[in-house]
Amino acid sequence: MLNRHINILIIFCVLFFSPSVTVNAEYGDVLINNYSDAAGMRPVVFPHWFHRIRFRCKVCHADLGFKMEAGGNQINMLKIIDGEYCGACHNGEVAWSVESCDVCHSGKSGEPTQVHQSTSSKLTATTRKKDAGNQE
Amino acid sequence: MKVTSLFSGKPMHYSARSTLAAIILAISSFFVCSAADIRSGKQVYDSTCLACHAAGILQAPKLGTRQDWVEREKQGFEVLLSHALKGYKNMPAKGGNPAIKDEEIENAIIYMLVSAGFDQYAKPSVTSDAEKTTTSKTVPDKQVTTAKTTTSKTVPDKQVTTAKTTTSKKVPVKPAKAAKKTSSNVNQFNRLMQPPAKWNLAPTSDGIHDPENAGTHLLQEPRQAFEALTRSKSGNRVDWVKALENSEIFPRYERLSDTAKPVVMDLNIVREVKGSMPDVVYPHKQHTEWLDCSNCHPAIFIPQKGANQISMAAILLGQKCGVCHGKVAFPISECRKCHSKQKDATAEVKN
Repeated sequence: MLNRHINILIIFCVLFFSPSVTVNAEYGDVLINNYSDAAGMRPVVFPHWFHRIRFRCKVCHADLGFKMEAGGNQINMLKIIDGEYCGACHNGEVAWSVESCDVCHSGKSGEPTQVHQSTSSKLTATTRKKDAGNQE
Repeated sequence: MKVTSLFSGKPMHYSARSTLAAIILAISSFFVCSAADIRSGKQVYDSTCLACHAAGILQAPKLGTRQDWVEREKQGFEVLLSHALKGYKNMPAKGGNPAIKDEEIENAIIYMLVSAGFDQYAKPSVTSDAEKTTTSKTVPDKQVTTAKTTTSKTVPDKQVTTAKTTTSKKVPVKPAKAAKKTSSNVNQFNRLMQPPAKWNLAPTSDGIHDPENAGTHLLQEPRQAFEALTRSKSGNRVDWVKALENSEIFPRYERLSDTAKPVVMDLNIVREVKGSMPDVVYPHKQHTEWLDCSNCHPAIFIPQKGANQISMAAILLGQKCGVCHGKVAFPISECRKCHSKQKDATAEVKN
């Protein structure tokens, strides 16, 4: 009996609350928050759409060695200023350099690393919502 | 308080129940209140109108662009309203969303007119208190001051008459509609789907970028970038393969070279699949346009016939094809793009 009430509550929350918190990120936007939050910076938003207009996948994922896994590359600012990962282009020559901190570090603080609008993030978002419901 | 018993079904503590009840009450009362309200022009605009009126798609007059509105405004508010309600040329009735109330459409038009500099439409409300709250909410700062001065002094004749005609015509209709009180969403289609207005939003309103951050405002809007690209039904709403084929985009194959050409391999691999689904044809051609062999081989796919176990379950979990499809390449919902080879008719009869 109680279970049924709770299920109704959950459905209620999902129906009426989710539209207001729905994220409308672009398909393939990667939020990277490996170290940012801890360092007091906003997390990085990497927009795949913007980059794939300018580069084929091969450039980053074969030549620059980006693993195809959100947050799987342990990128830090030292690597970037040494020309690795993002720093291969974000050096003031191909693209803006590291001094434009807040153009990359532009995500909402506290958000978890994930590929937005991806099948897997949709699945985990549902479980996260359930968990959030449990916490109340 | 931890309510871990939500799914286990174990009895909950009494206080837990009462809190839950309180939450339900709070939520439901909040919802009932908000459902009865008429949304402001900006809210309506943000939910639907902006799909076309932000960028001026299909010759829609743009928000904040006065020259787009001058001729239209001359026709009078009633004409604009009837066009918006019933549809006109490329403008679908109610912007294609029948769930929007007539009053809300009215508010949205006023919002757009005011944004284009037609300050006379900024609503002077009945009571001064209400006016303060509504104007400060819906109208940008500049207009608030002008609205205040006009109302405190004497309002020019024109504005009064237009205001009178609109309200006097509408008044008998409004209570009848409000009395119905049925949810305006009852006839809405695709409740759980993203409406077109929510596609390709600007970084400042996409929910993952921090709008407080100055850098966010420097970022390009996807909608603007995608304007000239072949559209698709899912993902970014862009058909990236076609966009490349049609030379709408020129993504570099080498980091520093505009001219380097990819090493394209034209080889189709057919994978027979279980059940009634058509077999999968995997085209190396489109993949090698974008990728290097080493992106997939040998880590994700062993380059040998019959050596790879692939299932939709694995793909949904982000493995095999799902490393890209469902994340950046076209999503899983595009079944037919992969399952494209009709099974042999004779084989089907045998089965």
